[in-house]
Amino acid sequence: MKKLLARLPHGKGEWFFGSSGRATFFGSAAALLLVCFVDALSPSATIIPPYYKHILFSCLLYSILSLSLNLVTGFVGQLSLGHAAFFGIGAYVTGALTKFYGINFWLTIPAAAVLAALVAVPLAAAAQRVKGAFLVVITYGFGEVLRYVAINTDFLGGSAGMPGIKPPTIFGFAFNRVGPSGKELYILLAFALVSLLSFFTWRIEKSRVGYALSAIREDEIAAVAMGVNTKYYKTLAIVLSAFLCGVAGSLQAGYASFVSPEMLSSTQSILILTMVIVGGPRSIKGSILGAALLTILPEFFHSVKDWLGLGFDPWMILYGLILIILMRFRPQGFWGKTTVF
Amino acid sequence: MEFIQQVINGLAQGGIYSLIAIGWTTVYGVVGVMNWTHGEVYMLGAFCGFFLFTRLHLPFLAGLLISMVAGSLIAMAIDQFGYKPLRKIGMPRMAGFITALGLSTLLRYSSTALFTPDPQAYPANLLSYKLLTLFHINGKAITVSSLHLMIFLGTLVIMAALELFIRKTLTGKAMLAASQDMSTLELMGANPEKLIKITFAISGALGAAAGVFVGTIYAINTMMGSLAGLKGWSVAILGGVGNMTGSMLGGLLLGIAESLTAGFVSTGYKDAIGFIIMILVLLVKPTGLKGYSAEEKV
Repeated sequence: MKKLLARLPHGKGEWFFGSSGRATFFGSAAALLLVCFVDALSPSATIIPPYYKHILFSCLLYSILSLSLNLVTGFVGQLSLGHAAFFGIGAYVTGALTKFYGINFWLTIPAAAVLAALVAVPLAAAAQRVKGAFLVVITYGFGEVLRYVAINTDFLGGSAGMPGIKPPTIFGFAFNRVGPSGKELYILLAFALVSLLSFFTWRIEKSRVGYALSAIREDEIAAVAMGVNTKYYKTLAIVLSAFLCGVAGSLQAGYASFVSPEMLSSTQSILILTMVIVGGPRSIKGSILGAALLTILPEFFHSVKDWLGLGFDPWMILYGLILIILMRFRPQGFWGKTTVF
Repeated sequence: MEFIQQVINGLAQGGIYSLIAIGWTTVYGVVGVMNWTHGEVYMLGAFCGFFLFTRLHLPFLAGLLISMVAGSLIAMAIDQFGYKPLRKIGMPRMAGFITALGLSTLLRYSSTALFTPDPQAYPANLLSYKLLTLFHINGKAITVSSLHLMIFLGTLVIMAALELFIRKTLTGKAMLAASQDMSTLELMGANPEKLIKITFAISGALGAAAGVFVGTIYAINTMMGSLAGLKGWSVAILGGVGNMTGSMLGGLLLGIAESLTAGFVSTGYKDAIGFIIMILVLLVKPTGLKGYSAEEKV
């Protein structure tokens, strides 16, 4: 088992299949365009069912979330179980602004992201004072408190959530009216965001900021001694990551036209964190792989459950086993850097 | 009036939180791992009690004791198969936490598969329910349910026994020492693995006892561990991690705070108040009520 796992690629190249970033981008963009619009070629039959497109969109959406959490967990080495809160804040801001004030979807994205970032500031202040297990619970508690606020605020729809959010429009066309299944533009938008974020992460790793964050992860005391402003960089990482989660939340609100308090739940936060851990912290393709794996596998096992007629969901049991075995034999994750974080 | 009544209502729940929190805090103190599975041990203890009471029709005390033993065994098994392999390879910093997360998910959903997700209730005739009047204030009666009173007394007895064990026996003293400095204790000739097993056993027994106590008042289900476990952790932080007396105090405080929130603010925020208190405590006084002074300077 150990030998088998040791033969996995050690994440030398940052992009898939050892190709350059540009090749990966154009290749995946072409593949996505093909997947999205292959149905338009033959109007009679659906080659790719809308359900698969939904899963594809979820993969991309969670990639945004895991890439942004990677900034905190991968680079700084701080575990956060509260990132679903920022995702939820983004979704609620977009939902409330478009629904109650009729503001254009595109204008709500910056508002959602900025609010998520602002909310992250007190959390970042807390992250200065505590670390390790304490930080885990403080972020967890933070997310849970926000979920209770969402449940208990009637204006936001309470526990039933907020339905009927208008889809975004482009040149007067609503997003859900373009393409064979109405999901294509969302997929492309999410893909654009994932690409931007991957590029951003790739650039930041070899920058002054990236080196500062790595220094904090490896040895915080040494980093302070070397003159790294640890407070500033830790805050920067969390706020930036919350900002990006807020954008993802906006996108999800526009896509599902529905926001519920469950988006803020700890289950979501744990899912995002495990995506980063399973894929491999500090690795861009690792984060994307983790997001894809933990989105596709539950759907697959859900169909297995229906197929076998099981009374329970086998995926969650397997999910626990995967985490235990992974931490035992490959604690740095699938494509993580060999440094143990 | 209302205030005093709410405080009394909160005490029983607070005792349960104290029991869970002590389980957290001893394991964190001795092993240094955030044992996320503790909520699951609590849930399994409650279910163990459920089967003992409904299938075997055992009396309450026997069921409680057997559940506590079962809880110890489960916690020791969790350590043996979950954490011990990691300790052997030197426990990478956060691998322990992710393993705990995985174990907790595994236990929670396997028990959902086994016991079905439907809520279950203990038999109604297990313990007699009476509303006792404690005293009168301005002509209004302050009451307490006999179940709450029994739970509160039960937790007090268990805690007193634990306190005696810690203060009077050599093993207990070794546990106390381990929570301060494990490596020095090893140099003094203590067997850390044995100590860790004992710690897990105690933690599991307390968790299971809390589960059985909860089962006598509320319906139990397989998801009950996640929230209760986390509340236990916030109580442990409130009291100061590694400190048992702090956990006892913290649990009672949280129980009262929840009861007051439900009575005077909003029932919707009842579950949130624990987390709010925890965050405030960590921000203002990270060592908690009775914790040791922090060593980290950065």
